[in-house]
Amino acid sequence: MTKSSRRLLGLLIVGALAGAWSYAAYRLWQTSIPDDLKLPHVDISVLVGASGLHRAQHFSLVLDLFGLAGLLLPLVVLALYAKWGHRFMSESAAGPIGTGMLLAMLGIAILWIAMLPSNLGQLWWLRRYGIVKTGYAEMVIGTWFALGSEFLGICLIILIVMGFARLLGDRWWLAGAPVFVAIGLLVTFVQPYMSGLQPLNDHTTLVQAEKRLAKREGVAAVPLKVENVGGLTTAPNAEAMGLGPSRRIGLWSTILDGRFSEPELEVVVAHELAHHKHNDLWKGLGWYALFVFPIAYLIARVTRRRGGMAVPLAVPLFLFAWVGLSTAILPIDNAFSRRLEAEADWTALQATNDPQAARALFVSFVRATNENPNPPFWDPILFGSHPTEAQRIGMVDAWQARNGG
Amino acid sequence: MNEHPVTLHVMDDLRRSRLTVFFRFLLTIPHLIWLELWAVVVMVVFIPNWLVALVTGRPAKPFQRFNAAYLRYTTTVFSYLFLIANPFPGFTGEPGSYPIELEVPLTPEKQHRLKTFFRLLLVYPAIAVAGVLLYVTYFVTFLAWWAALITGRMPRGFRDLGANAIRYIEQGYAYLFLVTGSYPCASPYVGMELGSPVAVAAAPVVAEAPTAVEAPAAAEEHAAAEAPEAPPET
Repeated sequence: MTKSSRRLLGLLIVGALAGAWSYAAYRLWQTSIPDDLKLPHVDISVLVGASGLHRAQHFSLVLDLFGLAGLLLPLVVLALYAKWGHRFMSESAAGPIGTGMLLAMLGIAILWIAMLPSNLGQLWWLRRYGIVKTGYAEMVIGTWFALGSEFLGICLIILIVMGFARLLGDRWWLAGAPVFVAIGLLVTFVQPYMSGLQPLNDHTTLVQAEKRLAKREGVAAVPLKVENVGGLTTAPNAEAMGLGPSRRIGLWSTILDGRFSEPELEVVVAHELAHHKHNDLWKGLGWYALFVFPIAYLIARVTRRRGGMAVPLAVPLFLFAWVGLSTAILPIDNAFSRRLEAEADWTALQATNDPQAARALFVSFVRATNENPNPPFWDPILFGSHPTEAQRIGMVDAWQARNGG
Repeated sequence: MNEHPVTLHVMDDLRRSRLTVFFRFLLTIPHLIWLELWAVVVMVVFIPNWLVALVTGRPAKPFQRFNAAYLRYTTTVFSYLFLIANPFPGFTGEPGSYPIELEVPLTPEKQHRLKTFFRLLLVYPAIAVAGVLLYVTYFVTFLAWWAALITGRMPRGFRDLGANAIRYIEQGYAYLFLVTGSYPCASPYVGMELGSPVAVAAAPVVAEAPTAVEAPAAAEEHAAAEAPEAPPET
């Protein structure tokens, strides 16, 4: 085979892979929300009051500043660590992989130290608004100990990456990326068993409503469970968890504390059921798989200048590249997540047929979380995994207009 | 005086990295998990090894080497956890890779069959002493953690006390796992070498260094100058 025909073949393979990638991304991007749906303007101040809106805007602005610090500080700290982190190699008597593990753990440890003031500031702000109940010492000690599980996670990642790099050289990403997807699959599957979910007692009407809603949505009923978070936060939440036999709906104890009416809770349950109906956890894994391959490839390219991932010298740069690329795709990740959430809202409206309850729920969310219902344009791009409350209420209005409610 | 088949060699220079000291417990977690997995295999190996030792009068050679590697590894992990050494240890128990090293006989020695038969009972007093020493080590490590965090150095007394505790515990393990027939020795003068590496013949340090008991500080200074860091594994 001549050089030019090899090049042509390479281009064809890359083109075919890019085409397959684009097609998969397009399919995952599609939702059942009508394409021509236009969200009307919603005057939030009428719903939550001018003072409530002002309070939410003030709260969210400062929280966004802490959020920006949380995005930028790791990049700065890990950039510096990428430059000088190799000096910590002298602290190791282990082999290459053991030394790589140490460098990765120390990178995360330094990041924890650097982020501590910002995290304490954020905690102060959340406590000031009564959203979080955690104490300062509790937070510092708790996050220090939580580093233990982060260290274990990063050691596993380094073991996989460096292990394959020592076997396959710069092509480690071809074997490493599928392993990361498999780990993501495993974590998603076991998450319900690791979350300390409790049986849902004293809410028999909600359990019955869930069965009814599941029938309407055409999905098998999923066990309803409670996550006891009352000692940590006042924020209400619920989540769809698990895959196949491990599927659950976890309702935070804060959403069951009497602030939300039974019809509002039914909307919440219908929303989480919709995630299971549309296989959103599988879609999330698919989305992750789409990005993990190119990210792993780019990391392999970037770390070549430090000798590749087979040597511990490259580990600080690996951390920086990993966090940098993950931050770079954050806007598209958030956009994908918002589409899935919007679709779940739409399906919940179809299933409950109760726009009043949905509207009341979203207004209650603004009061309970103090989040700005109509934030500046960049806020959802960087932090918005869900549509804004204004958009959610707008969807209720749009649904009502279509269905004559 | 200094005779026990299982001997701890201390070549540490007392320097400590404040960053790794602050996170020492967390940094050791991957090792503790690996240690647990390894310990399961050691337990499984114990039964056939015990039977071999009962029948032939000495343990099987492959098991001896396996147990020796395990003992060396536990020594490095405990040394790191209890701040007795500074560098992050390797995961294989490779000899010559760490400033705190356990010298373990690789050739199985002849052992009394009756003592082998009752080994699990005979080891009980040593386990009790080791348990007490472990609690003392926890307390000393707590104090040493603050000292090392503030000064960047490990107080020598704390280091030596911790090293002695580890030495006794490892001798207990070695006795339990049939690596040696010698009972652990409570005396701090037996089975402990300060400032001398395992490969005695190859190291001029030993020839020049006074005995650890007479002048440990001088031995330490020498060790610090000659062997501040263990060479990394390849």
